[in-house]
Amino acid sequence: MKLGSDFMGRSGLQVEERNLLSRLDFNFAFVILALNVIGLINLYSATHGLFSKGRLDLFWMQLAWLSLGWAVYLGITLLDYKVLIRSAFVLYGLNFAALLAVEFFGKTSLGATRWLDFGFFRFQPSETMKLVLILVLARVLSQREKTTGMGVIELAWPLGLALVPAVLTAKQPDLGTAMLLCAISGSILMFVGVNRSILVFLAIVTTLAAPIVWNFGLKEYQKNRVLTFISPGRDPRGTGYNSIQSKIAVGSGKILGKGFRKGTQSQLEFLPERHTDFIFSVLSEEHGFIGSVTTLGLFIILYLMSIRIAINAREKAGALLVVGVLAYMFWHVFVNMGMVIGILPIVGVPLPLLSYGGSSMLTTMIGLGLISSVAYRRYLF
Amino acid sequence: MKDFVQSFEDEAKDYLPRYKVLYAAITMASLLIVGRLWYLQILQGTELRQYSEKNRVKETKLPAPRGLFLDRENRVLVDNLPGFDATISPQYAKKLESTAEEVGQVLNIPARKIVEDVRRSQRRDGPFRAVRIKDNLSLAEVFQLKLLRWDNPGLNINESILRYYSLAHNGAQLFGYVAEISKDQLTRLNERFAGKMVFEQGDIIGKSGLEEAFDPIIRGRDGVSFVEVDARGREAPGESSLYYGFKPQPALPGNNLVLTIDKDIQEAAYKAMNRNDSIGPRIGGMVAMRSNGEILAWVTTPSYDPNEFSTGIPPQVWSKLINDPFRPLRNKVIQDHFMPGSTFKPIVALAALSEKVISRNTYINAPSALKYGRRVYHDHSRSGYGNINVMQALEVSSNVFFYKMGIQLTIDRIAPYARLLGLGQKSNITLSNEVSGVIPTSEWKLKKLGEEWQPGENLSNAIGQGFVLVTALQMAMAYNSIALDGKVMKPFLIKRVLNQESKTLQEFEPEVLRDATQENEFGVIIPQEHFKTVKEGMRRVVHGERGTARGARIDGIEMAGKTGTTQVRSWSADEIYDRCDARPVFQRHHGWFVAFAPVQNPEITVAVLAQHSCSGSRGAAPVGRDVIKAYFEKYHPELIKAAVEKKARLKAPASQPPAVDLSVREEAE
Repeated sequence: MKLGSDFMGRSGLQVEERNLLSRLDFNFAFVILALNVIGLINLYSATHGLFSKGRLDLFWMQLAWLSLGWAVYLGITLLDYKVLIRSAFVLYGLNFAALLAVEFFGKTSLGATRWLDFGFFRFQPSETMKLVLILVLARVLSQREKTTGMGVIELAWPLGLALVPAVLTAKQPDLGTAMLLCAISGSILMFVGVNRSILVFLAIVTTLAAPIVWNFGLKEYQKNRVLTFISPGRDPRGTGYNSIQSKIAVGSGKILGKGFRKGTQSQLEFLPERHTDFIFSVLSEEHGFIGSVTTLGLFIILYLMSIRIAINAREKAGALLVVGVLAYMFWHVFVNMGMVIGILPIVGVPLPLLSYGGSSMLTTMIGLGLISSVAYRRYLF
Repeated sequence: MKDFVQSFEDEAKDYLPRYKVLYAAITMASLLIVGRLWYLQILQGTELRQYSEKNRVKETKLPAPRGLFLDRENRVLVDNLPGFDATISPQYAKKLESTAEEVGQVLNIPARKIVEDVRRSQRRDGPFRAVRIKDNLSLAEVFQLKLLRWDNPGLNINESILRYYSLAHNGAQLFGYVAEISKDQLTRLNERFAGKMVFEQGDIIGKSGLEEAFDPIIRGRDGVSFVEVDARGREAPGESSLYYGFKPQPALPGNNLVLTIDKDIQEAAYKAMNRNDSIGPRIGGMVAMRSNGEILAWVTTPSYDPNEFSTGIPPQVWSKLINDPFRPLRNKVIQDHFMPGSTFKPIVALAALSEKVISRNTYINAPSALKYGRRVYHDHSRSGYGNINVMQALEVSSNVFFYKMGIQLTIDRIAPYARLLGLGQKSNITLSNEVSGVIPTSEWKLKKLGEEWQPGENLSNAIGQGFVLVTALQMAMAYNSIALDGKVMKPFLIKRVLNQESKTLQEFEPEVLRDATQENEFGVIIPQEHFKTVKEGMRRVVHGERGTARGARIDGIEMAGKTGTTQVRSWSADEIYDRCDARPVFQRHHGWFVAFAPVQNPEITVAVLAQHSCSGSRGAAPVGRDVIKAYFEKYHPELIKAAVEKKARLKAPASQPPAVDLSVREEAE
């Protein structure tokens, strides 16, 4: 079977003849599936170490989340994404309310209040806010007809929409998610275009504000993380521990890796959070440079396919939606890998499709579903 | 607001020029990540792989069993026993308090003490050094602790090797003891053995005696085993698939030493030193030597139990040992020197004969006192000995006779003979802290004290008082050379070094250092006939009617020797106390007895120093006699048996008590 030979858009506008299956972007789905398989294999290793008694169920949980994720992916693909964009403000309102609710009734865990506890499921509004923000920004920005960069007045509204939830999230405190919200929104805004003078201005403000934020805005542990990132040796058994152990794990994989379930750093629990945030170091340790670069390559293919889909999108909203989800994927992957390989400070950001976690898996699959939906609909009209 | 759904087709094409930004961002980020992966996994991969291996593999030292000490008949003198100790690694002890509580309960140690010990060690040595909680665990304790181990990270049970000294107190100063290496020893030894051996903190090393002297030979090489641990220091259960590239290195046991010591003689000697007679257990040292230089027994009393060091000596026991006025830790055979007293006289006699001051048949008047200069020098006998020759002078230990020798010879003509026979210099018996003793000369005194040699000093030094200082081992050496008519044998303790397969690595042969009857570096020669003369005098010391060691006779064995008694304090003490044994212990005289047997074909030489025993003939001679008797009972039982039978035949009709007269007699020395 020739999978989605038409995804490059060569076949033009022969719309109505296509059935559901042939309109699906199979290549795109196939890359996701490949990452899923890698993710599952890797998670199995990370949760089946010598000491991971009672962790075995995590693998099956992840499989369940993954199945649910694919169901949602297909559902969203078939659902007209425009419906979602139309209801973007409603979703935004609901999500914002949830974010406020966290502020008041949230579940506190590990010193941070990020979740709403529904008993069977802990809902983290800041996580879904990433997607909702993409929808809202796609809606707002797609209505713009000018092709020049946005000025201050134009920027005010979308920026406000992005910054308020970001600030709320930062207050939880969840600096990682807040920064990602900013990064995703910023990427979309930059994609649409921002006046150069504003960019220069922002650069200056950031530089000036940095010491103030450092002194008054950051909690001690957050400062520590940054300091430790700059010099991990300052506290090798404390804050720097994760960073050092992760670097050792990645590096010790060498070219071919130590082999499946033979990564000593992860199997013997030297790696912290190895099934969630540090899942990539397990992969790097056990499968080496080849495995790491292959995985990164799959993500890059995913990005490139997304860009192709955006280019072929029928309308701005669809293109912006794809760019937004692409930004979501890109920043997650970049920040997570960067942290694991020691070029970024330790921030609690999961690696999409590979890290364990229902929220992350669902959010990612919804996002990818949105891209798929845009791809699905590029022939319609 | 315009409805976006009505937007016209291809309006998204507005964005086309913007996509290159995305490509650029993706390219940059990807290059960054791939570049970093390249750096970590390919450039630094090997190094980080090593890190990861150190991380997971806990190196456990397998202490090498030290070589055994065997006696000349391969009987084990110093052995190794398995032991267990419990340690806590501060680095992993995350719940120290509760661990201390549980462990303390099992071991009967207050939990607070454990916590304090661990914290102190952590402050001092850092978190990676395991803290010893208890040594020498019983099997029950080992079992109970093993159960606690899983729930108490950091708790460990280590196998160790305990050094076991089967003779305990006996020979402790000779065999030495082992203990943990001290910090300055660590740096010193690592410098000395740089490139050959590596000493680490916690290593057990020989601290004294043979354990110290032969440490490099007997210590073996510690092995390592590798245990996989998790980040909390727990050992991974079972052999796992993760195990690769780490081959455990078995410990290489040290070489065994076959000593020249005879366990039987050693035991007899210890028993003899601890004689239960009117004087009681002796303080001092003794050494028994075969005539070829092999040391048969080496005892210092009072002693200590070196086994206590193996199990970690309690501080109060240690401080008691080092503060003991009898100094049980010192090896009094070589580490302390003493005035030889009258045991020096045979050497002076040899000097006088060789220097032709006298001949075998020169009779000299030996009155009860000799006035020299402004001082009167006394003898033991109030009546004097009349005209006596050198043999008689030795028999009765006449002071005046030897004063006269001293006057005529002067110290500078005596000294070379003393040195020739081994006095005043180290024997180099490989044990540390050997002192050389002193054989004075006028030049020595001028250099050392800045004073001229006084003529009167010739007198006192001629009877082994004054500046003359010797060790018991030197005395044994010198008398042995007299026994051998001038052959000076090197005393030695090790016959063979055996490896673990009992293959001989090194064999030590008797060594003749020099022959006193031949040309030598000391510039004096003792003609062989003079040895005969002096030996006859020394034979009479034991077998003569007036011999000072008559009580030391052993039926069937012809023995030659000399007693000696040396003042500890000044002569004036004599005026305060009538009897030596009325004095405080530390003011009592030292007693010497040095002897060899048989006079013809000598086999064994014994030197006994009985400190504060008041007299050579009563304090030291019985000890020497016992040891020599033990030797002949073992090696020549027929001689003893023949003598006993002969005596029984002679005495049978009268059925009298045994003839060996050990009764205490006031001796004239």
